[in-house]
Amino acid sequence: MNKSENTPEKAGEFEVSRIERVLDDETTWATPPPHVAEDLLAAIRSERERASAKHPIWLRRFWPRVSVALAAAAIIALVAGILLSSQGVTDRVPLAGTELEPGASGTAAFTATGSGWAIRLDLTDLPAAESGYYYEGWVWNDEGEGVSIGTFHLRGGSDPVQLWAGVDVDAYPWIWITLQEEGAGPAASDQIVMLGLREP
Amino acid sequence: MDPETLQRFSSGDEAAIKTVYDTYSGPVYAASLRILRDPSWAADATQQTFLKAWRAASSYDPQRPLGPWIFSIARRTAIDIYRKESRRIQSDQIDLAEPGPSLEVIWEVFEVRAAVEQLADDEREVIRMSHFDGLTHSEIAHRLDIPLGTVKSRTHRAHQKLLALLDHTRDP
Repeated sequence: MNKSENTPEKAGEFEVSRIERVLDDETTWATPPPHVAEDLLAAIRSERERASAKHPIWLRRFWPRVSVALAAAAIIALVAGILLSSQGVTDRVPLAGTELEPGASGTAAFTATGSGWAIRLDLTDLPAAESGYYYEGWVWNDEGEGVSIGTFHLRGGSDPVQLWAGVDVDAYPWIWITLQEEGAGPAASDQIVMLGLREP
Repeated sequence: MDPETLQRFSSGDEAAIKTVYDTYSGPVYAASLRILRDPSWAADATQQTFLKAWRAASSYDPQRPLGPWIFSIARRTAIDIYRKESRRIQSDQIDLAEPGPSLEVIWEVFEVRAAVEQLADDEREVIRMSHFDGLTHSEIAHRLDIPLGTVKSRTHRAHQKLLALLDHTRDP
């Protein structure tokens, strides 16, 4: 180490020593193995191919349109909220169909219970999942982490769907409905068919 | 990172993801390693961090700095891995509540490493040789076959750049 020779101007000494402490730690200089980049890109391509196999349009490309759909859904939710206001529901979130299901709409009613959050979905014009596929509800945070709140298929009709969240939904403001393929693993697919944002 | 790349990143563009990875994989891996103290876990955390970032890219606002957004994903990912692996090995010696050093220390590692990545190659080299390899200026001059004065001026310039790049992290 060569601290005496490296000494900069006096005014910056404290900051330099603070930075030097970090620079002296070998973990600061560590570099990820080359396979990490390769594995990452392979995982991204795999997810993207799985998504495009059924639906050629990827969520991120239609995100701006989703925001428009959310605004429209807010109006629907206002009406639904008036209708449901006598049922003791804690919080209602409008759900909008994405470009994968542009005609779908609905609400997610969040109710706090002693065992977690009960989340009732009242959905309109979301078609039943085809055989081999199912829908999955998620709550999602802004940091890209999601928690599944249950699965359903709607093949018996569009009765309200009851889902449950065991996490603090305030920390996970987004609600997504994804179309999942059986056997494709537990991760959320990119086939997001409906979504909503729970305002604080 | 230029605004166009950030915009393309937010739309999930693969080339932009690669650019983001090239820029932040070092800081993410260093911060993850500081938390996890295990190279394979840190590698796993690094891959998961960027995969999550790609999945959530549409929620990233290109008007805001990318570093803190990536860092928050990385830290949470590393902590999740720590807890999962700790449960798997069922060690009574590990505190599951909050692993490793404080948030401030991890943030410093991330920021300093990110700043080092922005130095010119020759500046980064002398800083690395000084701090990581523990060489004196004379030893660096000998190893690089350059004058001692060049090592001193290059080191001074690198320190000044680091100070400027890290000025925003300074305590008020």
